[in-house]
Amino acid sequence: MIAFLIFATVVLLFVVLVLIARASELTADLKSGKVDYTNQSKWNGYFLLISLVVMFVGSAISFKVLAPVMIPKAASIHGVNTDYLFNLTMLIIGVVFVLTQIALFWFAYRYNESHGHEAYFYPHNNTLEIIWTVIPSVVLVVLITMGMYEWMRIFNPDNRDKNMMVVEATGKQFNWMLRYSGKDGKFGERIIDQAHVSPTNELGINWEDAKSHDDFMSDKLYLVKNKPVLMKLGAQDVLHSFFLPHFRVKMDCVPGIPTEFYFVPTMTTVEMQDYLKTQPWWQTINPESGQPRWQTFKYELACAELCGKSHYGMQRDVVVVEQKEYDEWLAKQTPMYAPATIEEPKAEAAKGDSVKPTAMLEKK
Amino acid sequence: METATAHVTHHDHVHGHEEHHHEEETFLTKYVFSQDHKMISKQFVITGIFWGIVGGLLSILFRLQLGWPNETFPFLETFLGKWAEGGKISQEFYYALVTMHGTILVFFVLTGGLSGTFANLLIPYQVGVRDMASPFINMLSYWFFLSAGIVMFFSFFIQTGPASGGWTAYPPINGLRDTAVNLGSGLGFDLWILGMTLFIVSSLLGGLNYIATILNMRTKGMSMFRMPLTIWAILFTAVIGVLSFPALLAGCVLLEFDRLLDTSFYLNNIIINGNLLGYKGGSPILFQHLFWFLGHPEVYIIILPAMGLVSEVLATQSRKPIFGYKAMVFSILAILVLSFIVWAHHMFVTGLNPNLGAVFTFFTLLIAIPSAIKVFNWIGTIWKGKVRLVTPALFAIGFVSMFITGGLTGIILGNSAIDIQLHDTMFVVAHFHIVMGVSAFFGMFAGVYHWFPRLYGRYMNETLGQIHFYITLLGAYAIFFPMHFMTGLPRRYYTYANFETFNNFNFLAEFISIAAIIVFLGQLLFVINFFYSIFKGRKVLAEKTVDGYDYANPWGTTTLEWSAPIERLHGNWPGDIPTVHRWPYDYSVNGREYIPQTEPLKPGEVSHD
Repeated sequence: MIAFLIFATVVLLFVVLVLIARASELTADLKSGKVDYTNQSKWNGYFLLISLVVMFVGSAISFKVLAPVMIPKAASIHGVNTDYLFNLTMLIIGVVFVLTQIALFWFAYRYNESHGHEAYFYPHNNTLEIIWTVIPSVVLVVLITMGMYEWMRIFNPDNRDKNMMVVEATGKQFNWMLRYSGKDGKFGERIIDQAHVSPTNELGINWEDAKSHDDFMSDKLYLVKNKPVLMKLGAQDVLHSFFLPHFRVKMDCVPGIPTEFYFVPTMTTVEMQDYLKTQPWWQTINPESGQPRWQTFKYELACAELCGKSHYGMQRDVVVVEQKEYDEWLAKQTPMYAPATIEEPKAEAAKGDSVKPTAMLEKK
Repeated sequence: METATAHVTHHDHVHGHEEHHHEEETFLTKYVFSQDHKMISKQFVITGIFWGIVGGLLSILFRLQLGWPNETFPFLETFLGKWAEGGKISQEFYYALVTMHGTILVFFVLTGGLSGTFANLLIPYQVGVRDMASPFINMLSYWFFLSAGIVMFFSFFIQTGPASGGWTAYPPINGLRDTAVNLGSGLGFDLWILGMTLFIVSSLLGGLNYIATILNMRTKGMSMFRMPLTIWAILFTAVIGVLSFPALLAGCVLLEFDRLLDTSFYLNNIIINGNLLGYKGGSPILFQHLFWFLGHPEVYIIILPAMGLVSEVLATQSRKPIFGYKAMVFSILAILVLSFIVWAHHMFVTGLNPNLGAVFTFFTLLIAIPSAIKVFNWIGTIWKGKVRLVTPALFAIGFVSMFITGGLTGIILGNSAIDIQLHDTMFVVAHFHIVMGVSAFFGMFAGVYHWFPRLYGRYMNETLGQIHFYITLLGAYAIFFPMHFMTGLPRRYYTYANFETFNNFNFLAEFISIAAIIVFLGQLLFVINFFYSIFKGRKVLAEKTVDGYDYANPWGTTTLEWSAPIERLHGNWPGDIPTVHRWPYDYSVNGREYIPQTEPLKPGEVSHD
């Protein structure tokens, strides 16, 4: 019933609008020949100015209301730098935004035909063209240079710390497999072929490689404060993207092609909570949990590349701790070697031919 | 610069008036299988409007899910059946909606609808030719476009639903023909590929025709630098399309090979539920290169015609020449060239070689320079003009406003270091919707309101048009401006409820959804106005009558389109095709409000071209 009422109201509104519009058009028709738009220009001049004010007020409200809700400050070394670059660029384009929008709407108001002036024939001015080519070019060169410098610093392998830890993350529909190298600090070999990959050994770990025997899987990504980490990334089935929003880390995971991302976390989870405790918005109560927002804060891992129907559900907690706490956690982990070897003898027949869901017409 | 004699068209004086009135026209040849550029233009615009409504409606459906993730809408089940059981849109259908919304609006509305409508209408009328180089191929271009649409539309009605792996069609999710991996990757995606193939054929046929007509058939005196900016924009758009669409077609054919013939162009070591499939040695990234080799130029295929229309509308309605005509032409040319060497900025975080990323950052940010030149020139055009603030002018001003806002955030995204965080987040969604979605729509609306009298001999209703404008301007900002603050929230999420980090913006999502619904309803005003005006709009009245033909010039334009009679004749001009003597922007010069291009130069007067 309510749906019908809303629908009827909308239809009625349209009819009224059309009738009013039609009436206004008929009065114009009486004048015949050329229509005088001066009056409309006058009103639209005012309306454009009002629109500009509404836009700016809306922008200001957006900043006031939304900026505190945004994902908090970066918790990695490079993230602080890219955030700085983001804010710097925002500042520059913010100034350009305000100036050009004012010029556009003000000129439309000031020079609309209702002011009774004549247009000024002014087809070009090369000096002006050069000015507004050179100034943006210079600004852009500065931004490009800063951006490229930071970009190369993030990805240059020579910048990596020899003592970094390495964690392997593999995306599949629809979760993350996080593998740690265990006490020896070395990953067991993975072999992607029919003999090694199976439902019980999705990663194709070569159990004959002794280095694999202390490797373990974790359902949380544990990282150490100020300890550089190299994420070795991959995907099983389709594209995924390894996204740590708080650390400004994102890298696609591609089946068959390894990728990686090197970064340094700089704040433990607790430190970030302590920082957020000082932020007014984070002190407010979250109606869902009934707690202050800073209290339930956690770092998270997400998928940022459309990977299927549950793409939005590929969540893992990320925990950053001090080295000591990490060592304690590490000691408690059980290697995955033991359970996997029990199921080691696999039926040869099952893996003989390549199983491939090909040319299946709409099989659910 | 008087090289006018060099350009004589192939058929003007000989076949002229008579021939075109002795053709027998049946209902079929006149309204359906028409080869007349004006009728084809009408077919494109009406098909485009249909697709605009469908594409918009899809976005409203998924905005219901995003705005109110915890609520149910029983009426959805009534209409969508199994796709919305219990009144909640299913995950599978949500992704199908997102995918088809992108596909339809990018290709069917803003490429086919926009270019098809205005290239067909304006090329013959503005360069002075009776019809396209090949009217038959032109007709085919429309019918391929329509068939492409029918195939796409059909995919909504099959068991597994339409494609749902994103409009970018990335493998492996779209490369495995397995509905267990992704429901829409079955028959739905085959239809997507088929539809796109037909669309690309349409686009190429149209594009070659536009280029041939513009380069070879301009009327006497219409040198290149006497063409209005609309024609320059359409020419460059067609060139981009002809050079880049084949890459997508090749990419899509190979993708279908992977799907149907078990080749491995894009697939390597795929493991589904622990079962290793037999694909070896392909690269999913290769497809992304092929896709974005079209995909990035595609955004210029969308925005350049809109820029052309806006330049023309702003000059005409400001009664002032476009500021920096040649700077405008060369900046479009610069955009054309650069558009081919920036595609990998969509791929900064795919594991691309970082050195390559740096190169693409460089070229990407360079595009800001010609874009800035264009913006300053538009503002310069309004400055000290005598602006007639009618609906087309309002939409042209709205276009510039949107293009500034959306273009500026491109400077952030184009910078690879910053893009790491922003890639595939709502910030990107906000950026590209403003800069190529909303902007292009504004350009298209400006064009439709401005040239509607040329197309139908009637005006659209001003009052409705102006209401439409303010709803769209403020509404579009309400939708997309605050979306920039969802920095770091991944796009294409069915709900953010699984993440503590992303779950704080629900109030904003609801606000955006409400704004989107209002803006969508506002667009229906345009649709009503359009169809109402075709039949009942205020007529364009004759200002003079020559040889029994009525002539008018509703906006006082200098260009050739109104040198033809109000009636849309097959062949456009009853007598000879007019000769051009001057550049197209002689507004408010020599004490006259405007001087048509057909008027010879006075002794001692110099043309501005």
